[in-house]
Amino acid sequence: MPDVERARSAGEILDALPCGVVSFEDGGAIVGVNATLASMLGYETSELEGRNVETLLGIAGRIFFQTHMYPLTRLHGRAEELFVMLRHKTGADVGALLNAVRHDFAGRAVTDCVIMEVRERRKYEDALLRAKQAAEAATRALQQRTDELEQANEKLEEQASELEVQQQQMQDQATELEVQSEELIAANDELLARADELERARFAADEANHAKSQFLAVMSHELRTPLNAIGGYAQLIELGVHGPINQQQREALERITRSQRHLLGLINDVLNLARIEAGRVEYAIEEVRIADAVAAVMPMIETQMASAELTSEVSIDPNLAARADREKVQQILINLLTNAVKFTPAGGTVKTFAEPDVPNRQVRVSVVDSGIGIPTDKLKNVFEPFVQVDVGHTRRREGSGLGLAISRDLARGMAGDLRVISEVGRGSTFTLVLPAA
Amino acid sequence: MTSDALRRNNVRTFGSGTRPMLFAHGFGCDQNMWRFVAPAFADDYRIVLFDYIGSGKSDVSAYDPKRYSTLDGYAEDVLDIVHALDLRDVVFVGHSVSSMVGVLAANREPDRFAKLIMIGPSPRYVNDGPDYVGGFERSDIDSLFETMDKNYIGWANFLAPAIMKNPDHPELGEELAQSFCSTDPVIARRFAEATFLSDNRADLGRVRVPSLVLQCSDDMIAPGSVGEYVHRQTPQSTLRVMKATGHCPHMSAPEETIALIRDYLESGSIA
Repeated sequence: MPDVERARSAGEILDALPCGVVSFEDGGAIVGVNATLASMLGYETSELEGRNVETLLGIAGRIFFQTHMYPLTRLHGRAEELFVMLRHKTGADVGALLNAVRHDFAGRAVTDCVIMEVRERRKYEDALLRAKQAAEAATRALQQRTDELEQANEKLEEQASELEVQQQQMQDQATELEVQSEELIAANDELLARADELERARFAADEANHAKSQFLAVMSHELRTPLNAIGGYAQLIELGVHGPINQQQREALERITRSQRHLLGLINDVLNLARIEAGRVEYAIEEVRIADAVAAVMPMIETQMASAELTSEVSIDPNLAARADREKVQQILINLLTNAVKFTPAGGTVKTFAEPDVPNRQVRVSVVDSGIGIPTDKLKNVFEPFVQVDVGHTRRREGSGLGLAISRDLARGMAGDLRVISEVGRGSTFTLVLPAA
Repeated sequence: MTSDALRRNNVRTFGSGTRPMLFAHGFGCDQNMWRFVAPAFADDYRIVLFDYIGSGKSDVSAYDPKRYSTLDGYAEDVLDIVHALDLRDVVFVGHSVSSMVGVLAANREPDRFAKLIMIGPSPRYVNDGPDYVGGFERSDIDSLFETMDKNYIGWANFLAPAIMKNPDHPELGEELAQSFCSTDPVIARRFAEATFLSDNRADLGRVRVPSLVLQCSDDMIAPGSVGEYVHRQTPQSTLRVMKATGHCPHMSAPEETIALIRDYLESGSIA
């Protein structure tokens, strides 16, 4: 067969092939293409000769060609079953499978490609791809769900352990509360027991106090009888009933009588206090003019005042009156005046005055001396029974120490009070407070 | 970590020189792409080749989606290798996206690098406003990703063609598959994203190492205007426009590529 015919025959065979054929140089210039490829892409064969093969590819295809297909054929000499996306003349994508062989003829390299359009296969591949993507998505979703469940589980476990901790804490707190409760019950029992004890002690103290008062009342009475006898018989002797007595005997008798009186006064005081404490004092409340009460007691105190070289000043509104027991008021006044005389040095003054306290509907009667005074820390004790404020270097005063206690008890028995203010070296002021008339 | 890098990145060294020449492959292939160029420098340099994770014979199990989500992760790989071999005065040769990986690595440790040789570099593939023409619209890049997703099976076929054809000799298929631009399809998809969505324009001005830009005459991936842009923005850079067309002059025109690199290294010229 002649060469021309042979070539024509080869060209016809190529054009008759059911697949596309294209040959191009390394730079991409197309040197040969068959009719099948031209029609596959919507061109005439003549349109494709000399074109760059890349123009038959889309953008992605060109990148693929430059980065993958060319290096592979260049390095390996061939590429088989490559999938490429060709571009139809209209711009449509044409998927194709491609085999390529690169021949290097003394520096002029030509790559021959055989191209098969893959419509059916693409469908399957698309379906496969979609199935694969769906499977992957499902796997991811499953994994995500699993992760979420694991996280949720972890969270639940955390919460459970937290709850356990909280439960344990609450149990601990409950136990602690029980312990505290038991302790409180025990403490309460103890307090109740203490209260009982106190009640018993108070009852015992009341009993003892009552017994003491009884005892004092009885004893005072028992003591007064012999004392009266001593006084009476001393007086009889002094009066010479049993014969004449000399001067020495007289003096002795006077001393006996003085002592008897003192002792009797003491016992009377004790008896009075006992009576008051035993609640056996009765008050005859009436309107008492203060000026009258003071005037009644003044003569009884004047002798002592004079012998102590004291001056007495009295300043009382004659109309001022209280509701009180006259006798008790006089007893208190004597007591206060006696004390004032007792504790005021010679040359001093004892002032007695009274004033109304209108807002409180009271009357105040004060006895002010210019005596030695009472230290502040002792003031609160002056009304305690059997207390005589120790004033150090001064001589111990006479008296039972019951006078102020009795006086305050009597004042309070008349709904009044007895108060004191004092300053050491300047004197004291005792104030009897009584309801106004 | 650093000694691991030698195994992790399948590092190979050869050559009788002392000064290191580190070749970094681009997207879609592996260190095999340097086979026409690297041996030419073996007499004068110590040649260092490696594969990025997911490419060639790298350790795919070392792939960390977060680390390699941007080009910084790839630059870290380069620096790991530099440290593992204690390389100094490095001549870095990067193809395509690896040009920017080299820029990032050199900006982080400029003292380690002597020169950058960038083959078909692009700091940004997507057009940006009226002033920057990267060559692609965002929709083009999206269609690339879509194609990669859609043609997963096709790409997977591409990745191990020999296996498909040699069912009786899988060991041969494996050997071949790993020898020529084999790429893990999932990693390739992410590498594409890191590459084609990157914007390293601001990094160019910070380069303190002299550089050579090799620009092909008709490169649809890195057009001539992009090469000029890189040259304009990068201090101490030299631009050489090649007669070679396409995006892979080191494979399609190795002699020209070798000559230009050698000329640059020997003259030390700074245009």
